[in-house]
Amino acid sequence: MESITPQIILYIFGIPISSTIISTWVTMLLITAFVLVISKFSPDALDMIGEFLTSMISGIMPEKNIDIYLPLLGTLAIFIAVSNSIGIIPILTAPTSDINTPIALSIVIFFSVHLFGIQKFGLIGYIKELATPIFLFPFEIIGQISRTVSLSLRLFGNILSGELISAIIFGLIPLVAPLPFIGLSLFIGILQAYVFTALSSVYIDAAVAANNNLV
Amino acid sequence: MSEMNPELLITITTILVSGIGIVLGTAIPAIVEGRAVLKALDGITRQPEAANDIRTTLLISMALLESTAIYVLLVILILLFANPLLTQFFN
Repeated sequence: MESITPQIILYIFGIPISSTIISTWVTMLLITAFVLVISKFSPDALDMIGEFLTSMISGIMPEKNIDIYLPLLGTLAIFIAVSNSIGIIPILTAPTSDINTPIALSIVIFFSVHLFGIQKFGLIGYIKELATPIFLFPFEIIGQISRTVSLSLRLFGNILSGELISAIIFGLIPLVAPLPFIGLSLFIGILQAYVFTALSSVYIDAAVAANNNLV
Repeated sequence: MSEMNPELLITITTILVSGIGIVLGTAIPAIVEGRAVLKALDGITRQPEAANDIRTTLLISMALLESTAIYVLLVILILLFANPLLTQFFN
């Protein structure tokens, strides 16, 4: 069985390109091609997707104007959903089963949460907001870092475990037996895309709400 | 048994600990998630109009509960496929 780190397949100008980077490019190509084709033939379908994402995110952060958060969160949801599901194409591995992709995504979320908070309250006001009971400020910082780590490890572990279980069952019985596990990992991939987006929305919601650092 | 190869000892210990750890680390979050689902279903049957809010909160909190099982899985995957002790002492 191969190792849990992706293998490097080629070098471009001395930069190692692993198999998951190739499948990230395939994911980006697929999403772009889908959007271009659909917007030419039936723009209503794009409207429907946008409507779905808007209702999903506004269900998580109610009583907020979500127009400035929707581009980031909707892009995250679409990208993670497609890149979790792309592992069922036999020669590709899911980009999120490499630890680097989820860590990059959750670092983006980490910085954008604080940027949205600073945009709302100003720099001094946001720090004051974080340190409202002053003796809890160190724990607040630990919480901010650990939830970023757990956000990325959750996505990585779920997708990697799905791929590993499919591979193990494939090694035991190659024919029909892996199918239910592949279906389960597809379902878990869509669910994890929802969970990642929902948790990011909750973090942004807690950062822009006054005195409400819940999670 | 008295003269055991230390590499073999580390391997056997790793396999035993992985088996015990994955059972405990998945069984306990599964039980706790079951209780969370039970309470959520209780709430939905009492107030069906609040079903959407309860479902969102349930999914988010189940993801938070699930992450402990994922940590156990990752630790065990590292122990099995990229054991730091074996590479540190024997290579």
